[in-house]
Amino acid sequence: MLSYVAKRIGVSVLTLLLIICITFLLMNAVPGSPFMTEKSTPEMIAMAEAKYGLDKPLIVQLWNYIKGYFQGDMGVSLKMQKGTDVTTIIFREGKFVLSFKLGVWAVLLAVIVGVPLGCIAAYNRGSWIDSVLRVMTTVGVAIPSFVLCSLLLIYCGVKWELLPVISGSLTDWKAYIAPVIGLSFYPMCYIAKLTRTSMLDAINQDYIRTARAKGLKTGRIIFKHALRNCLIPVITYLGPMTAGIITGGFVVEQTFQIPGLGKYFISSILNRDYPIIMGTTVVLAALVIMMNLIVDITYKLVDPRISLIKGDS
Amino acid sequence: MKKPLALLIAAMMLFTLCACGQTDKPAATTAATTAAATTAAATTAATTAAATTAAATTAATTAATTTAATTAATTAAPAAEPFVITACIASEPETIDPTMISSVDGNTYVNHMFENLMCYRSTGKPAGDDPKMMSAELDYGQAESCDISDDGLVYTFHLRDGIVWSDGQPVTADDFVYSWRRLCMPETASDYGYLLEGIVVGATDIYENGADPATLGVKAIDDKTFEITLEAACPFFLQLCAFGNLVPLRQDIVEKYGAEWTNPENIVCNGPYVIDEWVHDSYISMVPSETYYNAEIVGPDQIKWYLSDDETAILSSYQSGEYNFIESFPSDQIESLTASGDCYILPSVTTYYLYLNCENLTDWRVRAAITLCIDRDNIVENITQAGQIPASSLVTGGITDSTGAMWQNGTGYKEVMWARLAELYPDADLTTYAGRCELAQDLLAEAVADGFDTKITIPYRFNNLGTHGTIAEAVHQDVNSVLGLNMTMDSTEWQVYTATLDTDRAWYVARLGWQADYLDGSSFIDLFTTGGSYNYSRWSSAEYDALCAKYKSLPGGAERDQAMYDAEAVMFSEEGFPCSPLYYYTNSYCLSQEGIQNVAMSSLGFFIFTEATQG
Repeated sequence: MLSYVAKRIGVSVLTLLLIICITFLLMNAVPGSPFMTEKSTPEMIAMAEAKYGLDKPLIVQLWNYIKGYFQGDMGVSLKMQKGTDVTTIIFREGKFVLSFKLGVWAVLLAVIVGVPLGCIAAYNRGSWIDSVLRVMTTVGVAIPSFVLCSLLLIYCGVKWELLPVISGSLTDWKAYIAPVIGLSFYPMCYIAKLTRTSMLDAINQDYIRTARAKGLKTGRIIFKHALRNCLIPVITYLGPMTAGIITGGFVVEQTFQIPGLGKYFISSILNRDYPIIMGTTVVLAALVIMMNLIVDITYKLVDPRISLIKGDS
Repeated sequence: MKKPLALLIAAMMLFTLCACGQTDKPAATTAATTAAATTAAATTAATTAAATTAAATTAATTAATTTAATTAATTAAPAAEPFVITACIASEPETIDPTMISSVDGNTYVNHMFENLMCYRSTGKPAGDDPKMMSAELDYGQAESCDISDDGLVYTFHLRDGIVWSDGQPVTADDFVYSWRRLCMPETASDYGYLLEGIVVGATDIYENGADPATLGVKAIDDKTFEITLEAACPFFLQLCAFGNLVPLRQDIVEKYGAEWTNPENIVCNGPYVIDEWVHDSYISMVPSETYYNAEIVGPDQIKWYLSDDETAILSSYQSGEYNFIESFPSDQIESLTASGDCYILPSVTTYYLYLNCENLTDWRVRAAITLCIDRDNIVENITQAGQIPASSLVTGGITDSTGAMWQNGTGYKEVMWARLAELYPDADLTTYAGRCELAQDLLAEAVADGFDTKITIPYRFNNLGTHGTIAEAVHQDVNSVLGLNMTMDSTEWQVYTATLDTDRAWYVARLGWQADYLDGSSFIDLFTTGGSYNYSRWSSAEYDALCAKYKSLPGGAERDQAMYDAEAVMFSEEGFPCSPLYYYTNSYCLSQEGIQNVAMSSLGFFIFTEATQG
């Protein structure tokens, strides 16, 4: 197991390097400049580019990025917080932690509610409970995040005054409720659908029939024996989803005015703020890689028959 | 299997809880200690000021009273609630370094923290229909007087007594010299580095050729006297002396802290407010400066600038009472907000116009026909819906001439876009849209007779944001239905749009909005001089260039005004029409109906809360 983890970490570093190179080339291939405004002239842009070293050959700029990352230097923002270190923006201003906190609660809510809902729907297959849950999960998967967030804001915040309109830095437990619901509703419904489908597959297996024949209670069969096997597709989905939720709450953060990292993923590209584009991409890529590694290890824990290392049984 | 999974979940929850505990206020950096440390120095300064003049005595006494009141408010739980303004005018600013700012929000923050030689103060007279919103006028700020030489080339400002920085040090003329030089230096790379080009002696050479910043025509005669030498008389120069990019700066502070000098714990200001907390992407908090010389005019005990650009969230926060001033909200809500008395609309010095590419649309009659056939009333009434005014010139409504009259009311002004056409085609009825469409068709017919091919494709390029797409659809509909031309819409992202406007010349029509930097017609008219950086139409007119050169050489007065009016008339005459102005922007805002009075707005569109009062 340890050798497997070490090997995966080595591959992850190479993957990250590749991602840095590809991102750098792609963002430089798109026209525009962080210094472009209605009133900027080519001379003004050239002056600003010289100040931040963007006048150097691309290969030199790329090398500077890679060298900087190994030294913990992600460069300075060129537009969104002009002159501020990207590491400060992402980590020290608390943006990453805020997004992380929100994301973790959303993932937990999605799993804790989504999996049992899927089990209940499968257990009650064909009944009105199954129908209600299917409608709810289908709506949950179809409804855009901004619609749900706006509804939560207008009704829970403005009209009924149940929750704060501005969640801000999440200093109060009430501030979590609406953004966490907004962020977790889609994955929760998706997980419920996944669980239901795989649970229906599982309960038709022979070992379940055997368990029934032996007189085990249905709840015990579902939650003890069938659930473990039907979790595999859910875990596969959880990996990238967790990374996405932790870093990608753009709409939720905008709607509830949470100063998280989500906005920087989108706005940095629109503003051509190259160091922030690179920084946020690397952070997201590292998270995805890490989550995939955790997912692979979790497979083994959930189903001991799965082999992580070639030849291992 | 249960154990590892349970452990994993427990670890995740524990980590989250730890994170919750550690970051109750992420990035919240306070400057309270700085403020406290400066109190002693402030007291000394106030005492000095009091000893100098009677007026200053009043100011110092009031300042002391205000300080005492503020202290009491924070320590002894007074009966009265502190007067707090919660405003949202934009999202996180790119910067609040005065030299580097280029946005309206950046200027607004800087204008509350810093004060230039001149400044804008409330006139006490309503700017429009809203009795709570006052107009603002140019007044002396850090300077108490200014001597202008007879030829208008040398401005000598005399600084007030008792003006001090928030750390207690006196403001000197050297602070202005440093700031003005810093703006012009190419290595600073400010968006407004060009501001003094062609105005102050040496600025062009420093900015474009990297000459020694010491050659800039600014000089500290002594600590209290700041002298500026101009290249040519500049009628709007006093307005520039109120510009956010030119406020004084402390060289020692800027150089000591580098890019972090604007952090709350480092920044040193000379204006009515100091920044005491900045939670990035959440809010900026400002409290009255204890060292500001004119503390008696300062109203709010705190201004909390929330940083957001989500219109729905902003409006919800206003409606729930979290914000009491907002500038941005869904345009379809303007009607109901206006009816409820929350929303008011004031003019802005910005024009929305279309470039007509003279390299592709070579016949001026086609350019004029396109200009004529656009239904501007339809655009402002059904698309933008915020009280915008259909344009009748490139120079926007809020600009004034040397007599102080609004541009459109000036003696030399006519409905300039149609004035020459009315002379050339006296039978045409240019007062109605139908009449303009008829003339447009006639002009196009003339162009066709001379070889213009109506089957060519006319690409309209615009950036895909806000209402630009809907406006493009309206223009597209007008041009194709009235003129029978084949206009196509070419939408692109903002960065690609601006990057390719001058390099990829396949477009025939393209949009832009232009906001005046100062209240002078030249801010707009300069756009279309031959070879000008913003002359994307690549229009060239010797007569126009000569008139521009003429007004640049003249001091303020009727002759200069007339040269500008004439230049704009040339722009919309035969061989002209390099652009098609559509409408003048407006500033719409919502100000809480309870408890706030005497907010002011400068003619350049910056809101000022310094003198706001409760009641």
